Amino acid sequence: MTDSSDRIKSVDDALTSVIGLLETESTLKKTIRESLEPIDDLHRSALAELNKLHSSSYTSHAAICSRTLEIISTAGPHWNNVASLVPEGEYYRYQFALGPPMRNLTTLVALAHFLLHDSLISSTDTAIAMGLPTTLQLTAEDYLQGVIGMVNELPRLSINSVTAQNFTLPTKIASFVNDIFASYSLLNLRNDALRRKFDSLKYDLKRCEDVVYDLTLRGLTRPAV
Amino acid sequence: MTEVLMPESSSAPSSRREQLATTFEGYRSELDADNERRERLIILSRSTTQLSKKLIFHLHRGATLTSLEARSKNLQEARNKVAEIKINFGKIYDEIRGGINVESYWRWARQVSPGLEEYIEAISFLYYLEHASLIPLSEIQSELSDPTTGQPYVVVTPEDYVLGMSDLTGELMRYATNSLSTGDHEIPLAVCDFVRTVKTYFDGISPAMLYKLSKKQEETTRSLEKIEKVCYALRLRLVEYADRPEILRQMAKRALEDARDREGEGDKPA
Repeated sequence: MTDSSDRIKSVDDALTSVIGLLETESTLKKTIRESLEPIDDLHRSALAELNKLHSSSYTSHAAICSRTLEIISTAGPHWNNVASLVPEGEYYRYQFALGPPMRNLTTLVALAHFLLHDSLISSTDTAIAMGLPTTLQLTAEDYLQGVIGMVNELPRLSINSVTAQNFTLPTKIASFVNDIFASYSLLNLRNDALRRKFDSLKYDLKRCEDVVYDLTLRGLTRPAV
Repeated sequence: MTEVLMPESSSAPSSRREQLATTFEGYRSELDADNERRERLIILSRSTTQLSKKLIFHLHRGATLTSLEARSKNLQEARNKVAEIKINFGKIYDEIRGGINVESYWRWARQVSPGLEEYIEAISFLYYLEHASLIPLSEIQSELSDPTTGQPYVVVTPEDYVLGMSDLTGELMRYATNSLSTGDHEIPLAVCDFVRTVKTYFDGISPAMLYKLSKKQEETTRSLEKIEKVCYALRLRLVEYADRPEILRQMAKRALEDARDREGEGDKPA
């Protein structure tokens, strides 16, 4: 009988220590999730700012985009806080929590950058724009998904800019989406989330081109201002 | 089409497109390299699973051998199989280290962990047969590290460990029932204690901490009930027929068949 109680003691020890480890890890995950909340808040206010694009005149677009980028640039200290929680070398262990806010911010940064500079912001510059410290990386996968998020917004912006009598922007948008679609077509995608997002691009492209078609038909493609 | 629509800015987009093409070719090679590595790791992980399953079958075959000598020979052979699986983990390590940065293990943990869990199940079964106890996580980890540098091939997380142990209870149920035919009555009683302890501890783990465990706990509960039924019958018979092992064996067998019958058709065969 003592033999059996020894055995149970050793089982107890092994399991107690493992459950302790599980609890530590689960607490850390929770802390990291909580540390991302201020970034989610920032994302919401930046999104609210950028959404004004749809209802404002063309002349205020640049100001809206600059303000959006300004809001996002204040994320730096929050990211530093997140980075301090992630144990060294374990970035990918917590990527499931870090990826989504990075993708969301990429979407906004890329959209603001496009309207300001008529080009696609690089992944490195996106990371800088959202104030990421070097210990947290914006992976190619997250960047590429975030950019598609931006393209998903463009058909709506194209339509609304016609309503606001801005007939130049739809052409700019269609040409940009066309270039992006061509670029993504260069990738060998496997059957994953990125692939499904890529599949949505062609519908966005079509909607953007339809707007240009409507304008062309009415001779409205010349700059209006 | 764009040429006609945008005569004033036609040069900008075409250079933009070329620039984008260069950038995206970079992304393409990055994604391609990742995909290839992922495929190779999945293959290695599957092969680890296969080898571990074979090891488990090997152990079941050995556990019912009557001669002590044959049983220790079986365990010796099992250790050779473990060495073979470790070579596989070495390959996984090399594959991961071929990555761009040092923290790559976590990047590929999801591809590696299915094979790792199966290995944990197998090694903990072997350990149980050798020591009648639970292998500590630290021992699994040190066995899966480079013997000279101590560098871990893979990181054994508490999740991997708990899920592997959860599967172990199923193997032990099989081991306990099989041992009835050899007439070793101590085994089912010891296994019963052991599985009950493990289950009690795991009941304390909330699904928020380890979601995958809740499903496995149902399986563990069923295994434990089967073992308890066998032990119940065994205890009664031990009291009644302690001096006649022949009859004991027969009766234990019948109890086992009873337990199997009551499993219902939906269940997997024990």
